Amino acid sequence: MTLRRIEYELAGCAGPWLLRLQEWQKARARAHRPRKPGPFGPPLECTRKLKELMSLHYLQGRYADGAVPVAWVTSGFPVELLRPLGFHTLYPENHAAMCGVQRLTTGLSEAIEREGWSRDLCSYARTDLGCVATGRTPAGRLPRPDLLACCTNICQTVLFWYRALAAHFGVPLVVIDTPFVYGELKPHQLQYVRDQLEEAVAVAEKVAGRKLERGELAEVTRLSKEGARLWGDCLAMGKSRPAPWTGFDGFFHMAPIVALRGSEECNAYYRTLLDELRERARRGIGGIRDEKHRLLWDNLPIWFAVRELSTLLAERGFNFACTSYTNAWAEAGANVDPADPIGSAARAYTHIILNQDLRNRLSILQRLARDYACDGAVLHSDRSCKPYSIGQVDLRERLAHELGIHVLLLEADHNDPRAWSAEAAETRLSAFMESFA
Amino acid sequence: MRLVHIQQQRQLHGRRALAVLPVHYPKELLTAFNVLAVEMWGPPGPPRGEDAGRLQPYVCAVARNALAFLASGGADAVDGVLFPHTCDSLQGLATLVPDFGGWTRAAFVFQHARDAGRPSARAFALAELRSLARGLEAWTGRTLTDERLLWALRLHEEIDACRAALLDGRKNSSLGDRELYRLLRRGEWLWPEAHLAELRAARAAMAAEPVQRGLPVLVTGYVPEPPALLDALERAGLTIAADDYAAIGRRVVRWRGAGDPWPWLAQRMLSHPPCPTQSADQGARMRWLQELAQRSGARGVIVHVQKFCEPELFDVPAIRRALPLPSLVLEGELEAELPAQAVTRIEAFAEMLRAGARAA
Amino acid sequence: MSAAAIGLDAGSTTCKAVAVDAAGRIVARRIEASSPRVDEQAARMIAELQREAGGVPVAATGYGRKRVAAGRTLTEISCHARGAFALTGAPGVLIDMGGQDTKIIEIGERGAVVDFAMNDKCAAGTGRFLEVILGRLEVPFAQVAQLRAQAQRAVSISSTCTVFAESEVISLLAAGEPVAGIVRGLHASLASRVAALCRRRPAGGVLMSGGVALNAAMVAALADALGCAVRVVPEPQLVGALGAALSALA
Repeated sequence: MTLRRIEYELAGCAGPWLLRLQEWQKARARAHRPRKPGPFGPPLECTRKLKELMSLHYLQGRYADGAVPVAWVTSGFPVELLRPLGFHTLYPENHAAMCGVQRLTTGLSEAIEREGWSRDLCSYARTDLGCVATGRTPAGRLPRPDLLACCTNICQTVLFWYRALAAHFGVPLVVIDTPFVYGELKPHQLQYVRDQLEEAVAVAEKVAGRKLERGELAEVTRLSKEGARLWGDCLAMGKSRPAPWTGFDGFFHMAPIVALRGSEECNAYYRTLLDELRERARRGIGGIRDEKHRLLWDNLPIWFAVRELSTLLAERGFNFACTSYTNAWAEAGANVDPADPIGSAARAYTHIILNQDLRNRLSILQRLARDYACDGAVLHSDRSCKPYSIGQVDLRERLAHELGIHVLLLEADHNDPRAWSAEAAETRLSAFMESFA
Repeated sequence: MRLVHIQQQRQLHGRRALAVLPVHYPKELLTAFNVLAVEMWGPPGPPRGEDAGRLQPYVCAVARNALAFLASGGADAVDGVLFPHTCDSLQGLATLVPDFGGWTRAAFVFQHARDAGRPSARAFALAELRSLARGLEAWTGRTLTDERLLWALRLHEEIDACRAALLDGRKNSSLGDRELYRLLRRGEWLWPEAHLAELRAARAAMAAEPVQRGLPVLVTGYVPEPPALLDALERAGLTIAADDYAAIGRRVVRWRGAGDPWPWLAQRMLSHPPCPTQSADQGARMRWLQELAQRSGARGVIVHVQKFCEPELFDVPAIRRALPLPSLVLEGELEAELPAQAVTRIEAFAEMLRAGARAA
Repeated sequence: MSAAAIGLDAGSTTCKAVAVDAAGRIVARRIEASSPRVDEQAARMIAELQREAGGVPVAATGYGRKRVAAGRTLTEISCHARGAFALTGAPGVLIDMGGQDTKIIEIGERGAVVDFAMNDKCAAGTGRFLEVILGRLEVPFAQVAQLRAQAQRAVSISSTCTVFAESEVISLLAAGEPVAGIVRGLHASLASRVAALCRRRPAGGVLMSGGVALNAAMVAALADALGCAVRVVPEPQLVGALGAALSALA
């Protein structure tokens, strides 16, 4: 084992202790500050573990390049192919969300706008490209990729983004191009995805310097499936009244199923989370203190304003019982099959919500609204996510009409605060909430 | 003019018309089925009508204008629409319109094989073409024979050869940029045989000696709209020496096929100049542009993108780095008129190039 | 007067005219608020200068240049480059901030334009942004620089749109944020937008011209955003007209 590899493994072992020390220091500091009673229920105990899990992942990442093969991966990519090959995976979208929460996107984007990058491009992409250009990241350091892996199921934009990354890093790019499902997927389209998966394996094997053992692939697939089921169970706890957590909590706790999917750490985490949620539901502890109304959220979160929005809504007794975004990760993984990893991955990853037509989208939103007993919905019209936002004007009307609920179309952006007017949004949300009276 | 032609084709030749959204699609297949392709690269101007608000302002004008046009009955002269799966906006339009209203007639989707170097992509290209053909068979009630497809392939190869000759040899053409583009863009809706006749006439009229023109520039981008752009270039003393517009140069296939028509058709689909909507290799596109610039002697490059167009915008920094020439980025929104700001930029760019040329 | 050429810059906010001598020095100058009747205003201003000059060549630039009866018209980009180069004698980067547009011009040897970028589609990147919001705050121009300097910290203005920024500022005031901090934040906000257009930041610093260059707060904010020195050219509003006059001279 190389020295670098030793460092990487050590970071994995020592990491948790270091992080625990950090947390202990922070908790001591917090204990000295009185807690104000707010509109939220008691915070989830699990959140601490979540932070630890993700921090550890990024900490290890600092030592990954040179130690193990590193892949930068899109959220919808069938990562099961890469795990058995020993790749350390980095999810630029997850990392960008982290930057978004910390309001770092503006600076990162401005740094690259000078080079001709348009501000109208996806704010995740601009955040990521800004990090690559400046080297600035809240994670300390990102490992250089040996492989780039993108799947167009979430959007076509990832192809344009990742090909720019490939040109910059000079490393292979594997593309899983999933045909969009209009009505039903045709057999030759499914075959195309299957063929691409096999081709991707060949490229990944070359980069990793080892062969993909099909038994290991089956095992990772099993873990993925289980992880998706556990995540789905966690989300389903939102059906309780009151919902034991907020929809926005869900956005944060989604990180493992996206960035650590197919690992035992991911599943162990969700078991813990599920236990806590079940306990809270049993004891009637809500994510917010006084749940009066339950809402559905559609599209990505507004990462840089999650806290404000959550508070604004919670103060008036509104909680997001479910979101189409967090739900997507439960549905995708549920359909993989360890008995047929490649074939099932082809099918599962092609049928995610964003890769299917609007009729399917509407039926998912309707189903969620009904199952979670929502009396309203907020559709985030995300300026830099066209695949998710196109059709929302119609979806809004249809949902409102067919389910007889209040639906708000809220203009914002998932990562760029410059495309956001807090005052305007607050006014619209307040008016929306008042309409429930 | 376009409307009259569509109607004539139906009345005189029994040809159905299919509106086609940008960019790449198997036109040869439509021709083989005796279907007239009517490309929709606009219409330009702000979207009008009730349906204009169904797409948010940050969705590109291509999709917004197309939606408004289709939904308002503007395309009622055609019998169906073909949506190539070009990008996220058109992906969304292709479900929004047939599923939620705005178009009740036939709607076809054509999915591209991206990253064409892979065996999976080539196999898919072939399969998707056959699938579209089956759909067209059912729609037109015609069976497609190999002979008919071969005929269409040869016809479109001829057309591309003429287009290539006119574009590559524009120094020898008596046509100014505006006339040349008008001619080439008629190909977006003319029955191919009629278009070929016009192209041949223009080609025959090409002079043996080069014609004096303005400073040569390479233009890359989406579509040369509004036409006033070409006038502005001319008035500023610039001439388009090399074209990489998605609507024009990027669809000219210079490769010639033979043999079995289906692999031939599939290969044609994969043989146009590199396009960011389909290729995973940015370097290949940059090399193509470098070659174009060099061959044409271009002194500057104009990148003419449409606002919110991701495939074009993601390549802008790379284009600026790859080409050792002064560059101008013009961002449009499919306006009907050329904004004064664009004219100023073009003029400033021309002044810049001329000063550079004098200094050199 | 020894005028040898006249240059007119018909901007959208102000109309400027200068007369230069054979050595290219400004010998007469006029600035007026722009009239919608560009042709009449330009003709009058030129005529005034011609009366003293006695019939010298005229070149026009600016937004309304095509409506001016002049021997030559050039874009404001070329003219600003030329004018700035004449004033400094060296290549560099010029940031021209006017009422309704912002230009970044990279000036090469002999005053040629090497590259340029413009923000003329969105008010939030121009002097108009400050005008609207400072007007709303009822802060007189004379106090702006002092207020900015006084501020303990910049109150962050996140809105990219002038209209939204206006309402954001009202809310901030209502929430008790100090005016000085808001003024500082406004300038920082505009400076960051301008900096995003500015690719090259020479170690020696950049030049600034245009009406907004008279705002010392903006000059300071721009220096912060760019991370380099910002030097305001002499008579910053006249750079374009000067460049035009020099072209007429040539």
